[in-house]
Parts: sequence; structure tokens; C-alpha cells
Amino acid sequence: MKRFALLFSLLVFGFTSIQAQKYFTRDGKVTFSSDTPIEKIEAHNQKATCVLNAADGRMEFAILIKAFQFEKALMQEHFNENYMESGTYPKATFKGQISNIEAIDFSKDGNYEVTVAGDMTIHGVTQAVSTTGNILVKDGKLSADATFETKPGDYDIKIPAVVRKNIAEIVQVTVAVDLAPFNK
Amino acid sequence: MKKYLKYLVGILIVAVGTGAYMYYKPHQNIKTAKVDISLPAEAVFTAFESDEAAANTKYLDKIVAVNGTVKEVNKNEDGITTVTLDAGQDMFGVICQLDELTKHPREDFPIGQKVQFKGVCTGMLMDVVLVRCVEIID
Repeated sequence: MKRFALLFSLLVFGFTSIQAQKYFTRDGKVTFSSDTPIEKIEAHNQKATCVLNAADGRMEFAILIKAFQFEKALMQEHFNENYMESGTYPKATFKGQISNIEAIDFSKDGNYEVTVAGDMTIHGVTQAVSTTGNILVKDGKLSADATFETKPGDYDIKIPAVVRKNIAEIVQVTVAVDLAPFNK
Repeated sequence: MKKYLKYLVGILIVAVGTGAYMYYKPHQNIKTAKVDISLPAEAVFTAFESDEAAANTKYLDKIVAVNGTVKEVNKNEDGITTVTLDAGQDMFGVICQLDELTKHPREDFPIGQKVQFKGVCTGMLMDVVLVRCVEIID
């Protein structure tokens, strides 16, 4: 009987771990670039965390604003202190849902185009956003990437008139994460 | 009139010079930077876990030196090494991302070894994150 219970629980746990598979990373890359005729600004963040629930397609991202590295120290300073106010708002998050999750077969290698929609919070302001991206399934791991545009103005980020021409009104954001299965 | 012009040109040169200097101001040299706070990895993790807002005011943007044991080492495709220090937690720790602008004496850290890093504290996601880290060797 005891053995049966053990076997049963093993089966159940084994089953749930396949069903409720989660994928996770803490080394995601987020890059943004602002391109104007006057200046090109680019910053990289290598420490985005991302969790993807394969069962229901929920996806969450979180990044630390201060972990963005710029080429020029002055830009980084202005970005943190004047625009993003990262002392007050240290994080940016995204909580969303892959709308066509049922189209993805996580057990088979392949490339899938996905649509993700959800809430993005930057600078303490939450906006509904939606974008398309790719998920590549390979050897049980996922590589997901997406590129989308965002407006600093939407998140109440004020750019002073003096540098208005140096910073694009539409900032391009690229996200690339390699997700590994996560069993806990 | 001519004299007046000379001063104007002088001021202009100084202004442009200062502007350019500020614009091209280099990133802080983390190797020579003074450590603001020095503590064990568990302590900084606990500080963030128990009161994130207070820890943010205390540690954000500060040069923090953490000591602990190596739990995990990662290198991404851009060649950036990340060392996770044990914080007495099952899943999470203190992540030290090595500085891209510094040449490191080593980027290989055996699991379980005791190390100390200093870097800029950027806050907590699931782990406490330090960027621009360099190893402190004494």
C-alpha cells in the first residue's frame, strides 16, 4: 500500500511538472535605442528576469533600471536621475499573456510567432501594451525575442526642451531571453 | 570692440571645452572607486528581503562590497560573466555582474570558493543585483 502511495504521488508529481511547466531566466537581455539625426543613444541591460508559464501562457518580466549600461556616463546619469528617476522607481515590469499559447508545442523543436499583450510599468506608470515576438523551442529550452516601440511620453517621462531634439519620441526596445525549464 | 570679442572667444572656448569634457565624461573607474558599504552577501539579501524600500535608499547606486561563497557562475554570449553568491537561500542569491570596462585577473570562479566583489548595487528583482563588479583580492 505504501509503495502504491509512493508510486501514485510520483505519477501525480511527474504529471503536474509536465503540465505546469515553467520557464525561467535571470540573464535576459533588454536593449533600447533612441535614434535621432543628432545622437544615437543605446543602453543594455543583461539582468532581466523572465518567467513563462507554458500551461497558461502567462509571462512576466522585471528589470532594474539602474542596471542599464550606456556608452557615455553622462547619458546614464541623466537617464537615471532626470528621466527615469530610478531612485524612486528602481524597476520596470511587464505582466502579460501569450495569446496563442496553445499553438506552441513545447515538447517539439520549432519556431513560433507569438503575440503578447499585457501591462507594462515604467517610471511608476502602467500602460497596456501588445507586441509580436518569436519563441524558438530547442532541446527543451526556449529562446524568446521581441522588438517593440515605446514612447517616453506615455510613461510620464519628461524630456527637457534643451535635449528634446537629441532623444527620439519613439524608443525602440529589444528583448531577448533564453529560458530554461524551472522545476520547483 | 576688438578686446570685447577676444574675451567672448575665450569664454566660448572654455564653454565648449567644459561641455565636451562633460559629454565625454568617462564612466567611474570601479577598480579605484571607494567602497561605501561592506557586508556579507546574506546581510544585503536579508536587508532587501525584509524592507526593500529602506534597502533601496541605503544601497542603490552605492559601491557595495559583498563577500560570500560562489554558488553559480554564468557567461553569456556577449562574454559577460555573472557570479551568484550564496545568500543562505534555496533559490536566490546576490548576483554580481562583472564590469565590461575592466580587465579582470580571472573570470573563472570555482563553486564554493569564498570571494569578495565590489560593484554598484542596482536593487532587487528576485536576487539582489550588483553590476560593474570587480573582485577584491587581498
